[in-house]
Amino acid sequence: MKIRTTFCFAIGLSALAMAAPASASDLVLYDALDFAGPVAKAFQAKTGLTVDVVEPGSTGETLGKIAAEGNNPQFDIVWLDGSAVMERMAADHVLQAVPAAAYDKVAFTDLGKSLVPQSHAFLPTGTSTTAIEVNTKKVPADKMPKSWADLQSFAGSVAAKDPNLSGPAYQWLAGFFQTNGVDAGKALLTKTLTNKTFAGLSSGGKVDKAVLTGDASVGINQDSSIFSKIAAGEPVVAVYPSEGSVSLPQGLGISAKTQHMDAVRKFIDFVTSAEGQAVMLNGDDTDFFYIPIIKGIHAKPGRETNITYTHLDDAAASAHEKEWKQWYKETFVQ
Amino acid sequence: MQHTDVAASARGVGTGRLLQGGRAVLVRCAGPFAIYAVFALLIGLPLALVLVQAVMPGLFAVQDGSNILSFEPLARVFNSAHVASSVLHSLELGMLVACTTTALGGAFAVLVQRCDIPLRTAISTVPWLVFLTPSYLKALAWVLLMSPGGYLAQFGLLPSWLGSSFFGLTGLVFVHTLSLFPLAVFIIGNALAGLGSELEDAARLSGAAPLRIWLRINGPLLAPAIALSFIATFAEVLSDFGLASTIARMSNFGVLTYGIYAAASEYPVDFPAAGAQALVLLGLVLLVVVADRLLRRRADPRLISGRSRPARLYNLGKWHRLAMAAALAVALLALVLPLTAIAARALTQTLGHGLIWSNFTSANVVAALSLNTEANDGLLRSLFYAGLTAVIASALALLLSAQLERASPVLRTAVIGLSLGSVAIPGIVLGFGYILVWNRLPGFRDWPFPHYGNGSLLVMGYVAAALPYCLVVILAAIGQLAPSLTDAARLNGVGTVRRLLAITLPLVLLSVVTAFLLTFIRTVFELPISQMLIPQSGPPAPTLILRLFSHDRDGLASAIALVAMAAAGIGAALVWYPLQRFVKPRRSAGHVHAGSSPIAETGTSP
Repeated sequence: MKIRTTFCFAIGLSALAMAAPASASDLVLYDALDFAGPVAKAFQAKTGLTVDVVEPGSTGETLGKIAAEGNNPQFDIVWLDGSAVMERMAADHVLQAVPAAAYDKVAFTDLGKSLVPQSHAFLPTGTSTTAIEVNTKKVPADKMPKSWADLQSFAGSVAAKDPNLSGPAYQWLAGFFQTNGVDAGKALLTKTLTNKTFAGLSSGGKVDKAVLTGDASVGINQDSSIFSKIAAGEPVVAVYPSEGSVSLPQGLGISAKTQHMDAVRKFIDFVTSAEGQAVMLNGDDTDFFYIPIIKGIHAKPGRETNITYTHLDDAAASAHEKEWKQWYKETFVQ
Repeated sequence: MQHTDVAASARGVGTGRLLQGGRAVLVRCAGPFAIYAVFALLIGLPLALVLVQAVMPGLFAVQDGSNILSFEPLARVFNSAHVASSVLHSLELGMLVACTTTALGGAFAVLVQRCDIPLRTAISTVPWLVFLTPSYLKALAWVLLMSPGGYLAQFGLLPSWLGSSFFGLTGLVFVHTLSLFPLAVFIIGNALAGLGSELEDAARLSGAAPLRIWLRINGPLLAPAIALSFIATFAEVLSDFGLASTIARMSNFGVLTYGIYAAASEYPVDFPAAGAQALVLLGLVLLVVVADRLLRRRADPRLISGRSRPARLYNLGKWHRLAMAAALAVALLALVLPLTAIAARALTQTLGHGLIWSNFTSANVVAALSLNTEANDGLLRSLFYAGLTAVIASALALLLSAQLERASPVLRTAVIGLSLGSVAIPGIVLGFGYILVWNRLPGFRDWPFPHYGNGSLLVMGYVAAALPYCLVVILAAIGQLAPSLTDAARLNGVGTVRRLLAITLPLVLLSVVTAFLLTFIRTVFELPISQMLIPQSGPPAPTLILRLFSHDRDGLASAIALVAMAAAGIGAALVWYPLQRFVKPRRSAGHVHAGSSPIAETGTSP
């Protein structure tokens, strides 16, 4: 009888313990950005509003979670790299339009203004772009690539991310097709990404690793990732292709079903304030090396900001997303 | 009881007695029914929701969900050359690894439990320590070691032909075998411990040579455990994601789990493709389970009678040093080298600069050990969730095993099939299933407990992922109990709960604790479910480690992993060693006084 009581007691206690960690916060933030956690902490300290930060991993994994939640989303704000995917979520009514007043309050630079989407699907908080990552130990200075087309001479040792698994990589692919033309772009990539081992990596970190330790001499990678490696002392440089670079905005999107619109507004105000931007710049990881798009805010030292941009046609990128991702998967991943 | 019921109703006696009989049937059915319901809820329903999308592709569409039947996703998957090749790859890899792992694990178990080799106690801890290292860390360690610019190449220890052939089937079999052999050691070792030595001693007294004894007596008696080890390893390889996403991915050796992951990590998720590939995966595992059942129709041997004698150790003579060297070589490859690689990475600033003095730093480890940091919070959270999961999963597995022992063969096969099938279902799919059930399904999504977004559902997911392992371990032990033990108690009017706690549990206690510790350690590092069901209150350690890896901060990630392994290892040791001491003397005492114990006496009567 004693054993039985102990047994029941143990089970009961376990059930109680499981019930305990339920939480009810003022704001739930889904993100895949290094600085989101520190920003949420600073916001909490300033306003007293509590924020639950949920970071499932890569952008792809965060998007997978949002897709699985479907018509019963649990987040209030999503904060990610990439504009095309935000447009797509807005079109699916997972996101609601950002109120016009929220944009009016922000002192955007010209670059910042150019990133505000017509659909109001997201509010840009910074940007970065895609560059060619070159290992200086493997590629001599006179053999440096200067354009996407030059990558053909490195065929077989070019590392790239699979756009199916990485939001930033899709942004690059869509931009690449925009500047090179879809058919010519496909032909160029087919000649360049001849080694499937490196053509479908899942994150910028893996591209870095392939370029630093693997057989890859060059990689197609988000430039902020390259600058964080340079700052850490790794032997790599970022080369911007002569065709121009497509910017990759970091966007804040608002859930269509949020019940906390007031807190959302306050969070947007904080992120776009000098105080919030200072937190976004105070770290060593990839995303802290973003390009600020608000007047008076400067990028981290060593980060290149003098870049020739071309802007992505989000509507075209969003419309062809499934088709282009599928093409990439069938050609380079499978 | 049943006979009385039938007879009573057949005679058409008063309705009162009929009602009483009905209530008795209800009471008898309630226990098993409740347990099967829990089982269905934990694994069956989430799995079904993922799989059904293979034929109802629009069921969970973001907009305008529909339940129209369509075979388009299945047709798409079966017509894809890529899926066909990944099925073949998965099968080829699973078969090879099941053979090598069972052979290595079986040999290791016999060597450690039955042979008189030097450093036996130290060597017997190796499988546990290997088990402590999560597969994604081992895979990463081998990538650090074997890649062209990796540590072995930096030391000139890696001939180029070996480096290039490693990233393919050879390397995958090698790393999987070294990573999974503890599973075989546990399963076969448990059966070996329960085997005792009476039969062996009898054979020896009749003049049989050791080889003959192993081939004709121990071998056949261990066959169920060997088969279980084979199947569990096969299922484990099919469902593996750690190696699939690292070495297999790098060698362009596509396997099914990676295909499912790729279909599930995008927006919008290609649920139908994920469901169809999961269906193929589950089908493969079920085929193996059914084949196994058909092959060994014979009843499983029931040997533990409460009196088995601890076995004698073989004296290997001049071979004992060679045997020790072999065991140490396994330890070196499976444990020392990978851990050294991770430790080296944790203690260096960059990977590219290699192991030069100026590159060493303690910053990563200090960051992982500092209190009130995100890393430390995640670690403590994971240890708590893992402890809770281990208690629930091992208790549940014990109850289920006891019920299954008495269930009909068909039901038993079905439940074992489903649980092994769920081993083969990647955690990421089970995680998706959980989101679908607890966030989308009307009736479930509004339940306050468990609730999607907090720790309760994460623990439930962990329990579901751990339950099959606990079942495998505990069923193997309970399957060896002579039914006469509990039958005797039942005839004496002892109730079900007391029979379970006072007779079955003490006899299989070591297995239950094994299941508990397996679950605890696995859960501390469980990756895909942690990722899909992250509580809003904060992430568990694996998600943190993964995030750092994907952001190429593998130095800090390696440091957190090292601290987590140490914490889990010390926690497990604190449970295991006192308990082993507590159980062992009682066992021998039970043996001495067996003659005077009424239960043991009844247990051995024919």
